[in-house]
Amino acid sequence: MTERVTEQLAVGDVVADHTYWITRENLVRYAGASGDFNPIHWNERVATSVGLPNVIAHGMLTMGLAGRLLTDWLGDPAAVVEYGVRFARPVVVPDDDIGVAVRVAAAVTEVRDDGLVALELTVKVDEQKVLTQARALCRLPAERPSEP
Amino acid sequence: MPIDPSVVGRVYPPQIYEVSREKIREFAEAIGDANPAYVDTAAARGYGHGDVVAPPTFVMIIVMNGFDLLMKDLGIEFARVVHVDQRFTYSRSLRVGSRVEATTRLDGVRAVAGNDLLKIRTEVRDENDADVCLSEATLLVRPEDVDGGDASD
Repeated sequence: MTERVTEQLAVGDVVADHTYWITRENLVRYAGASGDFNPIHWNERVATSVGLPNVIAHGMLTMGLAGRLLTDWLGDPAAVVEYGVRFARPVVVPDDDIGVAVRVAAAVTEVRDDGLVALELTVKVDEQKVLTQARALCRLPAERPSEP
Repeated sequence: MPIDPSVVGRVYPPQIYEVSREKIREFAEAIGDANPAYVDTAAARGYGHGDVVAPPTFVMIIVMNGFDLLMKDLGIEFARVVHVDQRFTYSRSLRVGSRVEATTRLDGVRAVAGNDLLKIRTEVRDENDADVCLSEATLLVRPEDVDGGDASD
């Protein structure tokens, strides 16, 4: 019999870690795809007029990138059962071709008997957390999917 | 002017949304996500889904439609709004052809340091009235005449 994947996990394990880059182009693309045209995400004049240092990323884009870390690890995107974050700090996106680096890591906080695994995500820009209380509950497959 | 707490409990007309293959692809590309389950029917079937599924945060598109109604109703411009927190609880996956209905309720209003904090609950259900996703969000609304301070989104 195959071991459930959850039996191979322990609390504290970092299961995934990746750095994502966000550029102004990504913001425009995300605005179009999501329908969130709030000008603070593409218009420097409006962003600074409301007290922001510059154009900032959509919180949902940062949440989406952190979610990508989970779904890349899980394989099946529908295996995410709960996902929540607090948008603690704005992610300021410079007007250059490089963008801003967002580092995301996921660590196991609980392995449940029902096959669900609770994870805490660490999401940082320049070593400062931009998302806090970033937590997910995921359903792991009975067997680890074959590696691509 | 602070938001009058008497608006708490307002429920907005359900918004219908049909999930299309192209929108899933566009959204997945916008978050740079190359997971085959978003574009390849065979890959999605490998995970037991009937067809391609949407990324977990895709549902925000649907939730935002309700936010738009609420903002319009309360006379709030989006540039004054900051997303404070967001939480999704998923009951079933959104996939191509899913036809869902989102109902938005203003659960709470609280004045904090001259801003208003809105708690918004959105229930997304499928055509059989089964739960698809529950969204719980907090939005911060800055006063109309602000020029300074820090913010996050």
